[in-house]
Amino acid sequence: MQYMLLIFEAVDAYDGEDGQTKLMDIVSKHMALAGELRASGVQKEGAGLQGVETATTIRTGGGVKTVHDGPYAETREHLGGYYVIDVPDLDAALAIARRIPVLDGTKVEVRPLIVH
Amino acid sequence: MEDAGRAITAARARVVAALAARLRDLDLAEDAFAEACAAALTAWAAEAPRDPAAWLWRVALRKAFDPGRRVAVRERASHDPPAPAPTPEDLLMAADEPVPDERLRLIFVCCHPAIAVDARAALTLKIVCGLSTERLARAFLMAEPAMLQRITRAKRKIRDAGVPFEVPRREAWPERLEAVLATLEIAYAQAYEDAALAADGAPFAQEVLRLSGLLAELMPDEPEVLGLAALVRYAEARRPARLDAAGAMVGLPEQDVGLWRGDLIAVGARLLDRAANLRRTGPRQILAAIHGAHLSRRETGITPWTDILMLYDALLVVRPDAVTSVNRAVAVGEAKGAAAGLEALSAIADRARLTGWLPYQAARAALCARAGRSAEAAEAYRAALDLSPAPAERLYLERRLATLASGG
Repeated sequence: MQYMLLIFEAVDAYDGEDGQTKLMDIVSKHMALAGELRASGVQKEGAGLQGVETATTIRTGGGVKTVHDGPYAETREHLGGYYVIDVPDLDAALAIARRIPVLDGTKVEVRPLIVH
Repeated sequence: MEDAGRAITAARARVVAALAARLRDLDLAEDAFAEACAAALTAWAAEAPRDPAAWLWRVALRKAFDPGRRVAVRERASHDPPAPAPTPEDLLMAADEPVPDERLRLIFVCCHPAIAVDARAALTLKIVCGLSTERLARAFLMAEPAMLQRITRAKRKIRDAGVPFEVPRREAWPERLEAVLATLEIAYAQAYEDAALAADGAPFAQEVLRLSGLLAELMPDEPEVLGLAALVRYAEARRPARLDAAGAMVGLPEQDVGLWRGDLIAVGARLLDRAANLRRTGPRQILAAIHGAHLSRRETGITPWTDILMLYDALLVVRPDAVTSVNRAVAVGEAKGAAAGLEALSAIADRARLTGWLPYQAARAALCARAGRSAEAAEAYRAALDLSPAPAERLYLERRLATLASGG
C-alpha cells in the first residue's frame, strides 16, 4: 500500500538564533532517511516545502476562483514536507513515520493513498 | 439444537479469527461465519460433526470464496438459496487442515492504536466474542445506531488504512500490548458496572472472563496479561455477593464471604503466582493483589487494610490517577481512621474535577459519616444520588442516607 506521511510543524519552528542550525540538522537527517528509503525502493517521492510565507491559495466560491496570498488557513502549524512510501501495511508505514526527523511538538500524519 | 448453539459459541473466536486472518476483512469474516452457522443448524440436526470448529471453518471459507455468494453476502439479499451441506470430502479436508489459531492476531487488530480508543473495547467484544451491537450499545450506555456507527467506522479504518492482521514484533509489544490490556480493562469495567444495572450483566462479564483467560493462555509469559486475568477472576468471584435480596448493592466489607466463588479465587491466585514469578510488576498485578487481599477475608475473617494501603501506595506510583487516589483514601480511612482518610481525600490534586464523580462523593460520604460529620456526610450522599447512580447503588446510597438521618 502507498501512504503519504505529512509533516506538520510549528510555523515558527526554525525562528530564533539557533533556528538555522536546527534546520540544517533536521535537513541532513531527512537526506539520510530519504536516501535509505529510496535505495530500498520504499520511497516513491517526497520533498520539504518552502515556508508558509511563500504560499499562494486559490479559493473557489460561487464558481469564481480568486488568488490569495498565504496558506489555506492561518494556523500555528503548517505542512512542512511529505514522503510518499510504498510498504505492506500500516504498521510498516508507522515504523517509518516514527523515524522521520522532527523537532519536539511536530506531528506526522499517516494517510493511505487512493491507488487506481 | 442447544448442543449446536454451544458448539458454535465454543468455536466462534477461533473460526472468526482464522477467517479474518485469511480474508483480511472483518465484515466478510463475520458474514461468512454467520452463514456457516445458519448452515450448521440444518446440517447438524441429525448429528453434530466430530470437530464443529473445522466444519464451520471449511463451510465459511467456501462461502466467502464463492464469487456469486460473496456479492449476495455483501448486499444482504434475503433470497439466498439454502446453503449446501458439506460433503464427506469437505469434512475430510477439514480434518487435514486444522483451524489455524489466529485469535491473538485478531485481538491485536481490534486493539490497534490506530483505532479510536473508545471503539477498541466494543470492536473486540463484537468481533472476538461475538456480542451483538444491541448488547454492546446497552452495556456502553449508547444508542444502538451510534454503537453501530462506531464499530463500522473502526472496521472501515482497519480495512482502508491497511492495519495488518499480524501479531506485532516483540519490540513493538510494550505499546501494543498496553493497548490490548487497556481495552480489556475498559471492557471489564463495563461488564462490572453492568452487573449492578441489569440482571443479564453476567453473560457480558462471562465474555471478558473468557477473553482475558484466552489472552493469558496465548501469552503465558506476560505478567500483566496474567495479572489482568487474575484481576477479572477475583472481581467476578464476588459477583454472587454484590447484590442483596432487595437488589441493593452490598459494599465489599459487608459482603457475605460464603457467597464468594472459591473456584474463581483459586484460578486467580494461580495466575497471580505465575505473574509474580516473572518478576515484572505492573498496575494490573497490583490491582489483582488488592482484590486478593480483600478476598483473604474469606479465610481469616478480617480485611488486611494495612496491606491494602501499602498496595495502593505502590499502585499510585505506576498509575497516579483519580480513581487510584480516591480508592487509596478509602484504604487510609480504614487503616488509619476516618480523619486520616478525609485528609487523604482532600489532598488529591485535581479534587475540583472529582466533585461530579460518583465514587468520590460516595467515598467522602462514608468517611464523613464515620468521622461523625453527619451534615457533610448527608450532603455528600445527596450529591452522589444526584449523579444518577445505577438502581442497585441508588438503593444502597438511599439506605445509607436514611441511617444517617435516624442517627444510626
